[in-house]
Amino acid sequence: MKTIAFRVAVGLVIGLAAGLIYGWVLRPVKYVDTSPDTLREDFRADYVLMTAQAFGGDDDLESARVRLAALGPRPPLDLVVEAIEYAVARNFSQRDLDTLNRLAVALRASPGAGIDGP
Amino acid sequence: MNRLAWLPVALAVLLGLIAGLYYAWVVNPVAYTDTAPASLRADFRLDYLTLIAAAYAGEGDLPRARARLALLPDPNPAETLAALAQQRLAAGRPLAEAQALAVLASALGERPTPFAEGETPQPAVTSFPTRTATRSPTAPPIRTATATPGAPFALSSREPVCDQDLDPPRLMVEIRDRSGRAVPGVEILVVWDEGQSRFFTGLKPELGLGYADFAMQPGVAYTLQVAHSEEPIAALESPACTAADGTGYPGSWQLTFVQP
Repeated sequence: MKTIAFRVAVGLVIGLAAGLIYGWVLRPVKYVDTSPDTLREDFRADYVLMTAQAFGGDDDLESARVRLAALGPRPPLDLVVEAIEYAVARNFSQRDLDTLNRLAVALRASPGAGIDGP
Repeated sequence: MNRLAWLPVALAVLLGLIAGLYYAWVVNPVAYTDTAPASLRADFRLDYLTLIAAAYAGEGDLPRARARLALLPDPNPAETLAALAQQRLAAGRPLAEAQALAVLASALGERPTPFAEGETPQPAVTSFPTRTATRSPTAPPIRTATATPGAPFALSSREPVCDQDLDPPRLMVEIRDRSGRAVPGVEILVVWDEGQSRFFTGLKPELGLGYADFAMQPGVAYTLQVAHSEEPIAALESPACTAADGTGYPGSWQLTFVQP
């Protein structure tokens, strides 16, 4: 009886290990249809910078809000501030910082209604 | 040891396997929180392209736009952007958005592609526009032509075109700068008795970056004016053409404007 229990335990461990290796390594869940809110930090910062650059061209704050909403449910100003912090830490150009700051100032001056993310 | 003695082990392995897969796939799957733009869903990818174009419209930094486009698996971003511009226009999206896409498409079309040869990733947009009339935009553009500022375009040639394949007949416009290069993003206004419409060069890069066209109604007289052009071209009516079998059909106009 003791031997059988030992064998079962060993079998469970082997099966569990095999399942985890298969599920995590050999055939992990694939995320091919992701949304912008899952973007890596550097891509998120660039996304916010692009939004700020677009805002610099069209002065359309509502469009900027809609674009930032794709990054998640957080307030758009927080997203821009986060991007500014990243830009400062990574020595972005002064022009980029000014562009981001301009969007942050506009958002702070006009808080507006929140827009749900994806 | 007989065979039955291994049965509990085999069952345990199976049970463990199921538990492992359940944990790996359902309870605690591999979490992709740091994704790249290439993994974006198709609609988000098109929005990303639009954002790249809008940023380019705001800043005019083409190398940066190229670097951003290179993040997406698209072998021909210029065509994708041009197609997307038409789709956005057709969907009634803001004109500035479509124009930004068209301007970036044109800018890319004038220079070599940044993508390495042999790369064949899935394009973001697989359907490209055929040679059809442009839609009438609904809002004034924010960022207009990339032509030489302040320099007017003058009518260089005006020729009737008899081509039965052009159905409906068209006002086909070609805009060139002083050096003879096609100029994309130039706004063209067409006015007729019952309405008016605006269209832009460069939205159909496969027909030339300085090309634009407008579908004509036979029997209607149009007046056409190119932005940065001093004089409108009036009384543009579909010319009468005759087919080989003697039947008549409405023809088109080919208008070429250049900077003097």
